[in-house]
Amino acid sequence: MAAGKRKTGDTSGKRGPKAKRTTPVLNEALAEAAWLEADAALAQALTAFELLSQADTGRERSEAMALLDQALIRAVRRRGLTRFGATGGREPYDPARHDLAEPGERPPRTVCIVGQGVMRGCEILAPARVRKAP
Amino acid sequence: MTHAPEAWTLCIDFGTAFSKAAVAPCDAWSRFDPAMVRPLMLGERDIGANVFLLESAVFVDEERILFGPAAIERAEAMASRKRTALRSFKTLLSVSDLDRALNTAAAGSIDPHRLFSMRDLVVFYLAYLLAAIERAVAADPILAPVENFERRYAAPAWRGADSAGLHNVVVRLFGEAEAVAEVVGEQLLSVRGIAIKSARSALAAARTTPRVLDMGLVFEAPAAAAYTSIGLEDSAAHMVVIDVGAGTTDITALARRGKRMEELPEARITLKQAGDFIDRVIANCTLEATPWARSQAHQTALWNALMRNMRDIKDSVFLDGRAMLRFEGRTINIAMRDIEKDTDFRAFLRELTRAYSRSLEVVRAAALFANRREVQAIAVGGGSSAPFVQELIRRKPPNSAKLHFTPRPATPEWAHAREFRGNLAPVFPQLAIAIGGALAPEGMLAVAPAR
Repeated sequence: MAAGKRKTGDTSGKRGPKAKRTTPVLNEALAEAAWLEADAALAQALTAFELLSQADTGRERSEAMALLDQALIRAVRRRGLTRFGATGGREPYDPARHDLAEPGERPPRTVCIVGQGVMRGCEILAPARVRKAP
Repeated sequence: MTHAPEAWTLCIDFGTAFSKAAVAPCDAWSRFDPAMVRPLMLGERDIGANVFLLESAVFVDEERILFGPAAIERAEAMASRKRTALRSFKTLLSVSDLDRALNTAAAGSIDPHRLFSMRDLVVFYLAYLLAAIERAVAADPILAPVENFERRYAAPAWRGADSAGLHNVVVRLFGEAEAVAEVVGEQLLSVRGIAIKSARSALAAARTTPRVLDMGLVFEAPAAAAYTSIGLEDSAAHMVVIDVGAGTTDITALARRGKRMEELPEARITLKQAGDFIDRVIANCTLEATPWARSQAHQTALWNALMRNMRDIKDSVFLDGRAMLRFEGRTINIAMRDIEKDTDFRAFLRELTRAYSRSLEVVRAAALFANRREVQAIAVGGGSSAPFVQELIRRKPPNSAKLHFTPRPATPEWAHAREFRGNLAPVFPQLAIAIGGALAPEGMLAVAPAR
């Protein structure tokens, strides 16, 4: 068998009796690695936010706003966050995915997206803002 | 239902700046479960660095040899005395006359004592890497009980060279490294590194009874093909991989024949322009468009700031069409459309498009000859998100009405599996080759282990 023999560890066999799935430790370490990447972008966002609050002219404000936007988008990408739902689009109402403005007594069948939601992997972090479709 | 793997494969990827390693079940190809993919935590946690990346660096100090982050830190502190760490093992592994390169004495800036050859220092680094792998495996609750791993390493394709001969050199290096690691032990992982005297005697002992480590070799393009197509019911038998690395852009076409994945050698093209070239184009365009930075000192400072922030700049320019950089209280705008006007960049794009079209034509003909209906295209490496690269992989050559050309994402869908809670995908591109190398079935290996 072409194998690299380990010097340490259990010698009872090739595998333990139970296969565990992805462990919290591995997930935590992966999350930390992604956060390290995102932290620098968040620091840039804070700096840009300060520039924005100190801006005196329209030009300075729009420049600082663009810098803030750039830094936040970088941080979001490095954490693997994605936006979902196309603004102006229509889709079937799903309370898990949608934050409905002015909900009535009965949930609507179809809604119109007014603001995109945010997800990481399969997890919805911020639902899309929607209104009942006319 | 959870499947308990019987045997595991470990793959080491020597990146230019960092080494990475990952483990996957040996039967991953036939019964894929994303949750069983285990990137290894090679570094130490809680030191504010990405724990999956191990810095490829060796520093020869006054009396000790330092490794990884400690080597980088010491080299930075000693930079004013013209001292440097040995880095870029990957570049060394790519040379055609590897034996000769290894037997060269290390430069005075790397080894002021003039005691070590490049080979010695690479062996010490590999011993450090093996010790880090040992520690990472022991800390992983799933892998800790595993006694044996099938081991392999990933390398760029050795163009026009004797792959088997070069592979033999590498497995001998690993054999020496394992012997050194057995003698020196956990000291290798200490931030103080190892004493030069101990290192020399461990090396001498290792060479008295030479051994080779039984390892397989997987080239980077098949590793990319493996993580891209694993678990897909509609995985195509033909694939074209464009790898925009730092120093070269490599285009490789692969075809599955039975259980084997083989390269189509006529489709293989390497261009000498890649990420570093694009960095220089972006920096030069920015300098030209910054009239207020005219003095030599000012331009040097701006150039350095651009290079320090180049990864961020390229991310934004490639994905959003523009980037902004704050420099000396001003905001500098860098737009993709300005870069696209650069003469050198346009020449590179023309050459890249011609090269990709040639490779695509070869893979098209091979797929049609094999009566296949689909070709998949994937872009990997630091420049893979560039719009012109993404445009290339969406390209369909003429006269291929019967064929579908499917671009595949750089991060495969399985990396978003629920088990990872969204945490693998953001770091996947950095770990991709180690993971793909661990997942690849034996038919994708350039050299299989001896068994």
